[in-house]
Amino acid sequence: MDAVTGSGGDGSGGEKLTGRNASMQSSQSQPQPARPVAETRPTPVDDPSVGRHSLAAQGLNPTDPRDVKPLMAALGLTEDDAAEPTAVVPAEQLREVATQLKARGFMLMDTVGIDYSAYSSSRPKRFAVLHNVYHPDDHRRLFLRVWLDDGEALDSLYSIWKSANYLEREVYDLMGVEFVGHPDLRKVLTPDDLEGHPLRKDFPLGETPTLFREGRFLDPAAFRAGLSGQQRGLTGYRGELRRGQGEDRMPPVMPEGGPK
Amino acid sequence: MALNSGTLPREQMKPDHQESTSAERLGSETGALMHTEIMSLNVGPQHPSTHGVLRLVVDMDGEYVIKVTPHMGYLHTGFEKTFENRTYQQGVTYAPRTDYLHCFGHELAYVLGVEKLLQAEVPERATIVRVILHELGRIHSHLVFVGTGMLDLGALTPFFYAFREKEALQDLFESVCGYRMNQGYFRVGGLSRDIPEDWPARVSVFLDQFEKGVTEYENLFAKNPIFLDRATGVGVIPRDVALDLGLTGPNLRASGVGLDHRKANPYCGYENYSFDVPVSTAGDSLARFQVRLLEFRESAKIVRQALKMLKPGPVKDPNRKISLPPRHELETSMEAVIHHFKLVTEGFHPPVGEVYVPVESARGEVGYYIVSDGGSMPYRVKIRAPSFVNLQALEYACVGSQFADLITILATIDPVLGDVDR
Repeated sequence: MDAVTGSGGDGSGGEKLTGRNASMQSSQSQPQPARPVAETRPTPVDDPSVGRHSLAAQGLNPTDPRDVKPLMAALGLTEDDAAEPTAVVPAEQLREVATQLKARGFMLMDTVGIDYSAYSSSRPKRFAVLHNVYHPDDHRRLFLRVWLDDGEALDSLYSIWKSANYLEREVYDLMGVEFVGHPDLRKVLTPDDLEGHPLRKDFPLGETPTLFREGRFLDPAAFRAGLSGQQRGLTGYRGELRRGQGEDRMPPVMPEGGPK
Repeated sequence: MALNSGTLPREQMKPDHQESTSAERLGSETGALMHTEIMSLNVGPQHPSTHGVLRLVVDMDGEYVIKVTPHMGYLHTGFEKTFENRTYQQGVTYAPRTDYLHCFGHELAYVLGVEKLLQAEVPERATIVRVILHELGRIHSHLVFVGTGMLDLGALTPFFYAFREKEALQDLFESVCGYRMNQGYFRVGGLSRDIPEDWPARVSVFLDQFEKGVTEYENLFAKNPIFLDRATGVGVIPRDVALDLGLTGPNLRASGVGLDHRKANPYCGYENYSFDVPVSTAGDSLARFQVRLLEFRESAKIVRQALKMLKPGPVKDPNRKISLPPRHELETSMEAVIHHFKLVTEGFHPPVGEVYVPVESARGEVGYYIVSDGGSMPYRVKIRAPSFVNLQALEYACVGSQFADLITILATIDPVLGDVDR
């Protein structure tokens, strides 16, 4: 039984990983996980002398000497509390900030669209578009974060950086954020007949109704419900028969015109 | 309306269904031959020279390209959505499938990102093995570049030479992890298992043989007058345009910007290795070819140094909240069984945060922007795919060149369509 109580270390050790409020910078002062009772060999992570220093060895230290704080101050931007150097930019100032960054020699590396609608904590708006800009000579990297509501359009950076062409098309295609002033805002990755924007959190995972050779038709929603036992689904059908119930139930039939 | 009647006698060449062509109106005697119109030519998606399933619609004026419109997405499998519905450790399966020629680049970028979230501690041996595989992967990718790139230009021999070495490399990959492609060998916190005992010796043998091969390539291909004619001055991308288009990797270095994240933002202890970053200022197809040929030697140099640094030791983070316990412990320790069960069924929960670690892959900057909401699956994963961004240079570089040059330019930009479409 001691072994099982020893797994209490599992819960408290989880502190290190699950601490919601633990920001990346303050991880040095996180509580050490409790030493497991049953484990005879001490796990090296419990030893404070062994350490959290491998990040610096890997060049992953968040406090990088290439500090972008002076740059953010010069541009009049507020810093976001993310681990990477991120500046919050109001949507109407984005093009002006980008112009100044371009004049300083920055290049646009990437554009990230994020849908925060299912996020664990509340965020200012539903969407965030992050422009990842990088200076090829002094290696400063800065993320420009713009908060957007659903349906709100953003200024395109195509007139400033040509690399915004595909990057913004991708965000438009997968996340559904429109870019004003983009010369060629078409879908880029998904097929033309696909409706919706797959990386939005409310886009359902792909489930195809399937018609089997013996004529049985599988409706994914019903199948899943049966598997998870939430309600009587297709998989519950046989179990009910074994229990002497459910004779009146028939498996779902193929709809007219084949699977949708 | 293509002029496909080249074998007919000259007097029959005049198309009877066309009243008069623009050239005829100008009074030319060979009006049927002179008539010009913009022709749209479809290239791909199933075409060997498109390196996958890229479809290009090329607007041509005679033999000259006036516009290229790439159509991507034929290989789009929604990796980013899949990442959101798998645990962090399972994501390692999907990362190498994006760039199937330099799998270790994407794997490394992904695990480094998750390790940054977790503050995981990677043992030294695992880091060095990662460097070796990362560089061997770069050699693997550049070999395919040389082989298929020259094949596009009509040279069949390089393909066999390069794939001879590629086979040897794939044997090495297979012996560490069981897969010849799409390895998925790295784990968050280390490696899935230790390398075989004789593996470093086999890598040395490969390098000896490979370095002779590179000399052969340099003599045979890089000095080939036909190749030089086809590549010199073709598809020039100047420095400022390359930066504007967001090019990275060998394509950017061929345009005169010495950006290499192994030097600029060292990861995996790259600051401990001595190597050079080949840079060319020409910006043409030949420069892109030469930069990659030079990178062969630099990668081999790094692997040789790493092999010397390799010492016995653990290859996984000892933290049981991240790494699976060794198999033999499951029989004796209840703790190990519980950890095993929790990791396999649920996985670990990184703290809330957003991270991005750039890695220099064979194609350029690869980075995974990982958003964690504290759950056991990533909230959002955005792959910075270098091929996708680099492909934008095609539209720029091809305009005004001949159609045959388009194939050269596409080959030297070296996109991987798995990386473009994800």
